[in-house]
Amino acid sequence: MTPVQGGVRGWAATRKGHLSRLRFTSLRLRLVVVFGLVALTAAVSASGIAYWLNREAVLTRTQDAVLGDFKQAMQNRAGTLPSHPTQDELQRTAGQMANSSQRFGVLLVAEDDNGRTVYASSGGLDGFSLQDVPASLRAAVNKKQSVGADSGNKYAYHLYWQRVVDHGTPYLVAGTRVIDGGATGYMLKSLEPEAKDLNSLAWSLGIATGLALIGSALLAQAAASTVLKPVQRLGVAARRLGEGKLDTRLRVSGTDELADLSRTFNHAAEALEKRVDDMAARDEASRRFVADMSHELRTPLTAITAVTEILEEELEAETGSMDPMIEPAVRLVVSETRRLNDLVENLMEVTRFDAGTARLVLDDVDIADQITACIDARAWLDAVDLDAERGIHARLDPRRLDVILANLIGNALKHGGSPVRVAVRATDDEVVIAVQDHGPGIPEDVLPHVFDRFYKASASRPRSDGSGLGLSIAMENAHIHGGEITAANSPEGGAVFTLRLPRDASALAEESEKDTAKNGDA
Amino acid sequence: MSPVPSLLLIEDDDAIRTALELSLTRQGHRVATAATGEDGLKLLREQRPDLIVLDVMLPGIDGFEVCRRIRRTDQLPIILLTARSDDIDVVVGLESGADDYVVKPVQGRVLDARIRAVLRRGERESNDSASFGSLVIDRAAMTVTKNGEDLQLTPTELRLLLELSRRPGQALSRQQLLRLVWEHDYLGDSRLVDACVQRLRAKVEDVPSSPTLIRTVRGVGYRLDTPQ
Repeated sequence: MTPVQGGVRGWAATRKGHLSRLRFTSLRLRLVVVFGLVALTAAVSASGIAYWLNREAVLTRTQDAVLGDFKQAMQNRAGTLPSHPTQDELQRTAGQMANSSQRFGVLLVAEDDNGRTVYASSGGLDGFSLQDVPASLRAAVNKKQSVGADSGNKYAYHLYWQRVVDHGTPYLVAGTRVIDGGATGYMLKSLEPEAKDLNSLAWSLGIATGLALIGSALLAQAAASTVLKPVQRLGVAARRLGEGKLDTRLRVSGTDELADLSRTFNHAAEALEKRVDDMAARDEASRRFVADMSHELRTPLTAITAVTEILEEELEAETGSMDPMIEPAVRLVVSETRRLNDLVENLMEVTRFDAGTARLVLDDVDIADQITACIDARAWLDAVDLDAERGIHARLDPRRLDVILANLIGNALKHGGSPVRVAVRATDDEVVIAVQDHGPGIPEDVLPHVFDRFYKASASRPRSDGSGLGLSIAMENAHIHGGEITAANSPEGGAVFTLRLPRDASALAEESEKDTAKNGDA
Repeated sequence: MSPVPSLLLIEDDDAIRTALELSLTRQGHRVATAATGEDGLKLLREQRPDLIVLDVMLPGIDGFEVCRRIRRTDQLPIILLTARSDDIDVVVGLESGADDYVVKPVQGRVLDARIRAVLRRGERESNDSASFGSLVIDRAAMTVTKNGEDLQLTPTELRLLLELSRRPGQALSRQQLLRLVWEHDYLGDSRLVDACVQRLRAKVEDVPSSPTLIRTVRGVGYRLDTPQ
């Protein structure tokens, strides 16, 4: 039986573990997301800034070099042209200008002697024509600036440049005009090598960002583990504590908040354990006190009982030897001693139940025989109407069954008067004994309390013959068999107490034996 | 056996000892008393009583130990007087060889009835004998021999064996045996039977742990068989 149980418990525990891991995943996920976002923001902004700065630096440098060269070429070559050059002259000059280290295309525009506009393009770049130069640039180049000392401008024409993209390739277009009616020169420089460099830079930055993201995810995992593992341990410990294992403690390592939390948990568990121990000890002490007290009462009671019997015999002897003044006193002592005996006996019984030392002594019992013997022994045969077939056997503790029956029937006789009807029914695994009286029944407000200790049905009744423990002892005796007693009012009047007992209480008895053995070991 | 049975009462509490002595004397017994187990054992050797009423809680050696010491040499009946009906006490008492027990506060009449029932167990009743394998029960001499050797049985053990041997092969329930041997009412403690059967098996069986004579009938009780 035990290994199977252990297996089931182990299985449940692993399942619980899975569940908790799943639940913790959300926190883990949140951590990973936050870490990722932080890494992404940092990497993207850093790469963005780096890219932008780099791009500007590279382009500016290239541009400055190209424009410097172009300016130089314009001054040296185009400046030497006559104001109205021929197509050939223009073409030659354009070729010379393009033949520099910077490899840019040159377009020269001028007016020849006939007033016709002539164009000359260096052959370096295919079809560098005026269409390739944006109109705004052309306008700016051909605009004559006001020259004057007040404006600080010394030249009538300036060099203008613009970056354009044609068919996906970036170009630098610049243009200027020779002062005093010379040719207008344009240049076109492909920025493709720079764009390629910048592209590969962007790729590298992108890869770096990706790596940073992966790294941050791993870091987040690690961080989550360092945070979540203690949290998980805390969770497990809290669950153990909840299951009643009050000696559960956490190992405290480090000085962080989680260590603080563990320490707080340990303090709380310690305080709880101490509290429960204290309460258990107090409870145990008061129980032991009642047990010891009823035990101590027995010794004088044994002596008194033995002697009281002698007095009783003297009373029954009818020799008239007893003083009539003393006789009532002796009678009182005899009857009250018997009451005290019953009370102490019941008290002992109750303390045994409370301490859990009550045991079943099982035997095979014929229920009908047992009930007959019980009512016969108490001279109740005339007052009880028994409806039971012989041959209903059950395996239970005959002494305890007798206690239950005596209390139920005695109670019915006391409150309901005779006749009391006792009916026995049996199923395959249960015996049901109903005890019904013909009294006024039990008031509804009393019904839930009939099995309480020392509960008296009416406060006006100053004293009862019973100890006030009878029904509660009957109930405890039913419970130790794994049975039950219920109290109700019958529709046709009178109270009905129904006792249900299993037909075989062996399993329960063995279990309690095992418990004792375990307690004995501890 | 003397016409007036003589008892030895071992009880440490003065009041109980005096009261029980008073009560038992009135019931017609001769009562000797001792306050400790040691005194009781000494008195036992001097006086040879018919029966011992023994308190469990004694200063010095306790009632169980006294019981065990008596059983080493003597088979005379012992009734335990226990202050608790705690089950463990009863079981230990029965295992140490007591014939019966009463729980305090005991009524003198109940104790007297128990004493008389125990003493009756030693009385002979018929004049025949029966044999079960190597075991011979002589009802005339009230002796039991195994392989020709005399067995030392207490009157209770002897009576139990006689009741079983009177109905060989027939199962007797614990309640029946309690009525027949102990003369208890319907609430007799069935552990008395179990403990006595164990002691009896230890004496009559070849291998007490696997009995061939006194067999347990599950759910019923015990049965005496003739071994094959």
